[in-house]
Amino acid sequence: MRGKLFYKIFGTYLAIAVLAIGIVGFLAGSQIRAKLEKQIELELMSYAGLVDLYPLKEIQSRVEEIARIARARVTVIDREGKVIAETDKEVATLGSHLERPEIQEARVRGKGSATRYSRTMKEEMIYVALPIQKGPELVGYIRLARTLGEVKKTIEEFTAILLQSFLIILVSSAAVAFLFSRRLTTPIRDMEHFTERLRRGEIPGTLMIRSSDEIGLLAENINYMVDELQKRIAALQEEKAKVEAAFSSALDGILILDHQGRIETVNRGMWAMIGERYRDIVGKTPLEAFRSLGLQKALDQYRSGGMPVSQEIELGEGEPVMLDVSITPVRGVDAAEGKTMLVFHDVTRLKKLERMRVDFVANVTHEIKTPLTAILGFVETLQEGAIEDRETAKKFLSTIARHAGRLNRLVEDLLTISNIELGEMRFCFESVALSGVAQSVLHMIQMKAREKKIELTSAIPEDLPLISADRDRLSQILINVLDNAVKFTPEGGTVTLSAAQAAGNEVVVKIADTGIGVPRDEIPRLGERFYRVDKTRSRELGGTGLGLSIVKHLMTAHKGRIEIESLLGRGTTVSLYFLAA
Amino acid sequence: MDELKRTSSHYERELQDIKQNLLYSGVLTEKAIENVLASLLDRKSDVARRVIEGDAEIDKLDTEIEEQCIRLLALRQPIARDLRFITTAIKINGHLERIGDMAVNIAEKVLQLNEVPQLKPYIDLPRMAEIAREMIRGSLDAFVREECELANRIRRMDSAIDDLNEQIFRELLTFMLEDTRTVHRALLIMQVSKNLERIADHAKGIADMVVYMVTGINVRHQWPGDTPDDICSVKRDKSQ
Repeated sequence: MRGKLFYKIFGTYLAIAVLAIGIVGFLAGSQIRAKLEKQIELELMSYAGLVDLYPLKEIQSRVEEIARIARARVTVIDREGKVIAETDKEVATLGSHLERPEIQEARVRGKGSATRYSRTMKEEMIYVALPIQKGPELVGYIRLARTLGEVKKTIEEFTAILLQSFLIILVSSAAVAFLFSRRLTTPIRDMEHFTERLRRGEIPGTLMIRSSDEIGLLAENINYMVDELQKRIAALQEEKAKVEAAFSSALDGILILDHQGRIETVNRGMWAMIGERYRDIVGKTPLEAFRSLGLQKALDQYRSGGMPVSQEIELGEGEPVMLDVSITPVRGVDAAEGKTMLVFHDVTRLKKLERMRVDFVANVTHEIKTPLTAILGFVETLQEGAIEDRETAKKFLSTIARHAGRLNRLVEDLLTISNIELGEMRFCFESVALSGVAQSVLHMIQMKAREKKIELTSAIPEDLPLISADRDRLSQILINVLDNAVKFTPEGGTVTLSAAQAAGNEVVVKIADTGIGVPRDEIPRLGERFYRVDKTRSRELGGTGLGLSIVKHLMTAHKGRIEIESLLGRGTTVSLYFLAA
Repeated sequence: MDELKRTSSHYERELQDIKQNLLYSGVLTEKAIENVLASLLDRKSDVARRVIEGDAEIDKLDTEIEEQCIRLLALRQPIARDLRFITTAIKINGHLERIGDMAVNIAEKVLQLNEVPQLKPYIDLPRMAEIAREMIRGSLDAFVREECELANRIRRMDSAIDDLNEQIFRELLTFMLEDTRTVHRALLIMQVSKNLERIADHAKGIADMVVYMVTGINVRHQWPGDTPDDICSVKRDKSQ
C-alpha cells in the first residue's frame, strides 16, 4: 500500500512515456510511409517510362510483361479514356478511366500519381500515370498500380517495435517510480509521524534522516525547531513554577479577579489570613464572598479611577482582621481580559501594637497623674495654712510621702521594663539553689503576710536541682509574685510556695494562694502593662500594674515561662518554669 | 450571531450588575445596623449621626437599582425566570431601602438615649440586631445563589426576633410600672426594639421573595411555620 505520492510519480512517468512514444510513432510512421510511397511511385514511374518505348500496337502484348517486371497492375487507355489493355480484368468490362485523378494529372502535368482505395481491387493502391506520345501526338495513357500492402506491413512492424519498447518503458518507469517515491516518501512519512507525536504532546526525540537534499534540510530544521521548542517549554515551566511557588508561599493574601470581577484564584496566604469560613469564595464577586464595605469601596475606587489603589480594610465577622489591600491590574495579559490582582497584607498585629503603644502612653500618664494630683493637692492645702496645724500637717506629709513612694516605685518599674525591653539589663546567670533565695524572699514578705494574718508556707524538696538564674532577678520574680499573692488574698488565707522537678529538665516553682482569683478570660491579659482586673482595688493596694509584666519579661529572659491558673473566689496558682542548671 | 452573543452577554452583565448593587445595598444596611447598635452600646453619638448621614447612599442606590430594573424591563422585555428575577429585585430593593430608613429611626432614638443615663444594660438588643443582620445577609445570599432552602431557613428566624421584642417589651413594662421616671427612656428603647423587629420583618420579606423567585410560589402571607419543609423541592419537580 504505497501512498498517493507513488501514483503521482508513476503516473507522471507513464504520461511522459506515452506522450514520447506517441509523438515518435506518429512522426516516424508518417515519415516512413511517405518515403516508401515516394519510392514506389518513382519505381512505377520508371516502369511506366518503358511503355513509351513500345509502339501502341505492341503495348497490348507487352502489358503482361511489364506487369510482371513491375509487380504492378498495368492499364493502358487511349485518348478518350477507353481501356486498351489491362492486366487483371477484361478490357471490355472497364469503364472510362479519363476522370481518374492520376490520369487528369498526367494529362495536365505530363505525369500523375495518386493513392486511393480501389474499388476494383478492394484495397489501397498507389497509381502512377504517364501519357503515351507518338511524336507530338498524344495517343493515350499508361497507368501502373501497385497495392500498398507492402507499406502497411512495414508500418505494422514498426508499430510492433514501438509497442514493445512502450511496454519496457512502462515496467521500468513503474520500477523507477516505486523506488523514487519510496526514497521520497519514507523520510516524509517519518517526519509526519514525528510531528504527529509532537502535536500530541509527546517528547519525540530526534528525527533521524540522513540526506543532504532539501528533505534532509527540512528534517534538520524540524529537529532544531523541536529542540528550541523544548527549551522554551522548559524555560516557561520553570518560570511558571517559580511564580507559582511565590504565589502559594507568599504570606500575603492574593486574590485574582477575572474580567467579570469574580474571584478566579486564591492563594494559600489568603486562606491563612481569612480562615476556613471563606472556603468557597472562588467564582464569587468579592462583595458576595466577604460582604465587606471597605473592600467594595476600594474596588469601586480602583474601577472608577483605573489606578492602583491601596487601602486599609476590615474583613470578617466577630474578630475582624485588619488588612492592607492593594489593587492593581494584572499586566501582560490581554487588555480585554481585564484581570485584577488584590494583595492583602495583614496589619492586625501592627494595628494592635499601635493601639497598645497609644494605650501605654495614656496609662503611664494616668498612673503618674494620680499620685501627682494627690501630692499637689496636699501641698496646696498645706500652703494655704494647714501647715500651721501640726497634726494635720503631719498626716498630710505622710500621705504625700506615700504617693511619692508610689510614684517612685512606678518609675522604677517602668525603668526595669524598659531596660529589659531595650536589652540593656545585664543578667548574670549562675547555678542557684532555689531554697536559699526563697528563704530570704519569704522573710521579706513574711511581715506583710503577718499583718494580714496570712499563713505563708513553703515546701521545697531537699534534692531539688539547682536552677540556672540570675540571683537578684530570681528574687525579684519571687517577690513580685508573692507580693501579688499576699495582696489579693483576704485575711486568714494561705499562700504556699512549693517547687518540684518538672519534665524536660525544668524546675517548676508554684505560688498558690487562696485569694480572690481572676476571671478565666482575663488570664491571658495579666502580663499586659497596667492591666488590672479590678482597677480601683489594685491601686488601693499600692500596685503599679507592672508587677506581673516585669515577671513575664524576666521569665522570658531566663528562657523560662509562666503559667497562671485561677478559679474566681477560690485562689490563683502561678507556676514558674525555670531551666535546671 | 456575534452581535446576538454580544448583546445577550451584555444583558447577562446587566442582571449581574443589579445583583451586585443589591448586595452592596445590603452590606450598607447591615453596616448601618451594626454601627447604630455600636453607637448605643458605646454611647457614642457621632456614630449614630454618621448612620443618619449614610442613609443618603442607600437611598441613592435604591433609585439606581430601580432605574436599572425598569430599563431592563422596558428594553429587554424579559420573560419567565428573568422577569421573576427583576420583579423580585425591585421588591427586595424596596425592602432594603426601608431597612435603611429604620436604621435611621433607630439612630434618632439612640441620639436621645445617649443624652440620658442608661436605664439598663442592653443584652437583648444586640442579640436582636445580630439576628436581623444575619437575616439580611442570609436572605441576600439566598437571592444571589438562588437558594430556596436557605431563604426558607431565614424566614423561620423571624420568630426568634419577635420573641425577643416581646421579652424586651415585658421587661420595660415592669420598669415603667415601678418608676414613672423611666417611661421616656423605656419608650425609646421600645422603639429601637420595635424597629429592629420591623427590620427582621423586611429581611423575611426578602426571603419570601427569593422563595417566590425560585419556586414561583407566593409565601408572603404565610406563617413561616406553616410553610411545608419541602416547598423548595416540590415545586422544582413540578416545574421541570
